[in-house]
Amino acid sequence: MLRYIALRGLLALLVAFTVSLAAFLLLNVAADPAQAIAGEDATPDVVEAIRARYGLDRPLSVRYFDWLGGVLQGDFGESYYWHKPVAELVADRADETITLALSALAVTILIAIPLGALAALNPNSWIDRFALGVAVSAQAVPNFWLGLIMIILFAVMVPIFPVSGDDTWMHFVLPAFVLGASSVPAVMRLTRTGLIEVMGADYVRTARSKGFRGWQLLRRHAMRNALLPVISVLAVQLGQKFGGSVITESIFAINGLGRLALESILGADIPTVQMLIFVFAIVFVAMNLLADILNAALDPRIRIG
Amino acid sequence: MTSTDFSIPVTPAEDGAETALTPGQIFRQRLFGHTGFLIGAGLILIIVVIAIFAPLIAPHDPFAQSLSARMLPPVWVEGGNWDYLLGTDQNGRDYLSRLIYGTRVSITIGLGAATVGLLIGVTLGVIAGYFGGWADHAISFLLTAQLALPGLLLAMALVFIIGPSIWVVIGIVGVLHWTYYLVVTRAATQRIRSQDFVAAAAASGASPRQIIWHEIMPNLLSAIIVIFTFELGIAILAESSLSFLGVGIQPPTPSWGLMIAEGKQAMFYRPWLVILPGICLFLLVIGANLMGDGLRDITSPEGRNE
Amino acid sequence: MRMSRWRSVCAASALALATSFAPAHASPEDDTLRAAMAEEILNLDYNYTTKREYIILAQLTDATLFNIDPETQEVNPSIATGYEWIDDTTLDVTLRDDVKFHDGSALTPEDVAYTYNWIANPESESNATGVVERWLDNAEVTGPNTVRFHLKSVYPLVIRDMANRIMIRKDGTYNEGGEIDRDAMSSDLIGTGPYRVVSFEPGTELVLERFDDYFGEAPAIGNIVVRNIPDVGTQQAELMSGGIDWMFKVPLDLAESLGATPMASHLSGPDLRVGFLVLDAGGYTDPDGPLTNVLVRRAINHALNTEEMAEFLIGGSAEAIHTACHPAQFGCDQDAVAYPYDPEKAKALLAEAGYPDGFPLELWAYRDKAAAEAIASDLTKVGIDVTLRYVKLESLNQARAAREIPAYFGTWGSGGTADTAAIARIHFSGESDRDMSGDTDLADLVLSAEQTSDQEERKSIYSDAIGKIADEALWAPLFSYSANYLVSPELDFPLDPDGLPRLQNSSWK
Repeated sequence: MLRYIALRGLLALLVAFTVSLAAFLLLNVAADPAQAIAGEDATPDVVEAIRARYGLDRPLSVRYFDWLGGVLQGDFGESYYWHKPVAELVADRADETITLALSALAVTILIAIPLGALAALNPNSWIDRFALGVAVSAQAVPNFWLGLIMIILFAVMVPIFPVSGDDTWMHFVLPAFVLGASSVPAVMRLTRTGLIEVMGADYVRTARSKGFRGWQLLRRHAMRNALLPVISVLAVQLGQKFGGSVITESIFAINGLGRLALESILGADIPTVQMLIFVFAIVFVAMNLLADILNAALDPRIRIG
Repeated sequence: MTSTDFSIPVTPAEDGAETALTPGQIFRQRLFGHTGFLIGAGLILIIVVIAIFAPLIAPHDPFAQSLSARMLPPVWVEGGNWDYLLGTDQNGRDYLSRLIYGTRVSITIGLGAATVGLLIGVTLGVIAGYFGGWADHAISFLLTAQLALPGLLLAMALVFIIGPSIWVVIGIVGVLHWTYYLVVTRAATQRIRSQDFVAAAAASGASPRQIIWHEIMPNLLSAIIVIFTFELGIAILAESSLSFLGVGIQPPTPSWGLMIAEGKQAMFYRPWLVILPGICLFLLVIGANLMGDGLRDITSPEGRNE
Repeated sequence: MRMSRWRSVCAASALALATSFAPAHASPEDDTLRAAMAEEILNLDYNYTTKREYIILAQLTDATLFNIDPETQEVNPSIATGYEWIDDTTLDVTLRDDVKFHDGSALTPEDVAYTYNWIANPESESNATGVVERWLDNAEVTGPNTVRFHLKSVYPLVIRDMANRIMIRKDGTYNEGGEIDRDAMSSDLIGTGPYRVVSFEPGTELVLERFDDYFGEAPAIGNIVVRNIPDVGTQQAELMSGGIDWMFKVPLDLAESLGATPMASHLSGPDLRVGFLVLDAGGYTDPDGPLTNVLVRRAINHALNTEEMAEFLIGGSAEAIHTACHPAQFGCDQDAVAYPYDPEKAKALLAEAGYPDGFPLELWAYRDKAAAEAIASDLTKVGIDVTLRYVKLESLNQARAAREIPAYFGTWGSGGTADTAAIARIHFSGESDRDMSGDTDLADLVLSAEQTSDQEERKSIYSDAIGKIADEALWAPLFSYSANYLVSPELDFPLDPDGLPRLQNSSWK
């Protein structure tokens, strides 16, 4: 087990470095950071001065290994824009994104699991159909569009929530809903299938024959086993929330990592992009690993090897 | 690697004969008895017809600008005009016509990107599943790297290097969406490979190539079709997100995602500019998803509604 | 009726926003002007920045030796009281004796000489180095309030550069104790301007208060807070709820919609920025390409309905232009040949040039998407097969540097300088990749204008150059811009003809 985790951790690092190399090359091809820093009306000598100042006149390979050398010593470099260490920048903004990702996950759980359970308890009833409808619709709605519509509906027409920003918990309601909605279909379907399967199992039939019915049956016997796969999927979904925060944070002007990622990609702030990709890759792999471990820990039938 | 519901049961093709009916008849019977599938297929059919006959249906040229008639509201809003049922955009182009031509962009990209993804994903999936070992490890690594790389970055770089065109966008979206195919075909190939008829074929001297084409691929077909239908919807959404962020379809081509981005600025005053293209996207994608759900139910009735 | 209901919905929501979320700001009461900027403010030292937002802030926190009157273009005294040319390359500048830095210390001629010598030194890597090293040999202190500037050669625009570019710092600011610190003034700025920095959180908020020892006329408003709000929609919501009093670079449609409500006033002022198409007349992308043919370039000029674009897409005080400079700029001779909108004539010219069926053209653009699309559409109408490449500015610049761009929709703000020199040098002197004319005679002509101090001669040289550009149709000039602002109804914000917003001149109604 420990060896397995170590192996997976190594894999995560390898992925993070590969992806950061790819990102470095792609960004350098697509935009010139010196131009981005200098701005619209910059004269060539200003751009040259900036290029020299940031060492952008050195060959790509030198710059990449320079970066890599720094990273190995725990130094992710300094942002071209913010003039401060990228690590500090990322640490400053991480809490907004973590808050958003966790509250989005909460939204997913609060909607998907009760809905899936209700649907499983009453297969082929109107509630089952409704749940299916919700899942199919949530899958078909463009995330960015849902965000804009939520702003129009609940921040402008019926002004319950603020338009944007990240000052109070009220600011997180709409973005968490938008980001959480995208995971509802998968989690809801999995809950429903899992429950239906478990309800057909022998021990549940026995319980039913002893007179347990409905919620009681669900709570005491079926839920725990049915939720095993759901929990590991939730971990994966949480990992994806970090990547998914890019558009949501931009639309709702939340000062988190997603918006930082978008801005630094568009502005060719290479050190920042590098570190963010690194962090996202590690979070993603870690969440997948967590999912596997949870699976193994909760379900004795699965053995990791 | 654990991931979202990749649970498509793969049924061997020789299975499922019921009394008196041929497999084809049973299939058709199930097809027309499935409401979700019918609604989905109906939506897709209507949209495809609109796309094919766009020049006949659209009241105006979607590219014809008239700056003096810009930002007209739809006909039901004060100041609306029957000439422009849904109003005009920021360059005075007919919004309805642009929405109609937008079907072409979405459908072309959906089909194209889902095909590109299919080619990549199925190839890798079958290789990983059949050969296992190092090939499997390498492909798993590729999968993880792919999932960790931001698509936006890839899109920006490719659009910049190659220049924007509908083909580039198809390529980008396709390259970003092959993981679903990979995960499913890899697992299915592993399962099929261990079955007797594959071992029998190998024993009779068939090459891996022959086994893959004659024994494995036919058994993957129904799963691939189901994924293709889902990926159609996913690719359409992905294109709209990229266009919304400005690195997908380039103006003046009418793309729904781009239209939403253009309308965003004035959305408090002219909400229809944002709402209408979103509804179009929603209908198209929900059509593809309902069709996918239906096909999955039909090809594997025991996994209904999964 | 439907529209007005929407308006009232917006109004109601704004009220609700104001009451429930944003702390209700009553700006005149706390004498604080809250301005929003989309561009992130990360460095307060204009000697190390270039973007327009930073010029606006430098006007508040810093002072230069001279000021240029935006109305008359005359040189006004600022930190300097006057100047005198000793000979063609020696300039004596006299300083006021009552200028105080924000830390309370008095300004000395040593500070001025230090600032100039530091910036002219390539080691400073200042963004102003390029401007200053062009002409400055060195600056020396010659008396208790005089500084002498030794020039490398004749350069007529010294006073203008001094007024626009160099913010005076204390002696030793950037290399105290021999160690170079280019970020010394990036956040804890010690300037000489009308406002001093109270607090600064890069990318978030800058708080300024009136500096009581400012040598000039005291501004009317006591405090200015500049907030970074990247999204225009958010800025709008904040303005509606009273969270901010001032926003600029507002898209026309938004400015008009919100300006029509009682929550904000829409101000539209002139802007020295002009928009234009640069055409690869020099054949950099294709030595025999269609754009090397003057008839084709004239056809493109005739094909563009610039008046409609100016009126409907840019709006406000924007106007169509036919010169490669802003009509308000010194030397921008309006007698240059004009190519009125005439698609038929454009088609005829294309046919005459040997392209009766048009040709494929990749047109690049980075801002004003609607205008870029309108240009593409007009060109398509006369038969040119246009592919629009709408990209980020950095990508456009990079591709242009690699000479991969046959035509682009560019704009230039001239740094607020009402002089043709500020647009001609960079675009036609051959010194940058923005010059796609390949015309060395023109380059010599443009450079010769900077070798004379005789204003009449300069004027006539620019008039020749602008005339030549128009004759050869090296550009397709499009329109001037207008600056759209949305401000709180309680704010009196005067607009200047050079288009640079000067927050220091605003007051409460």
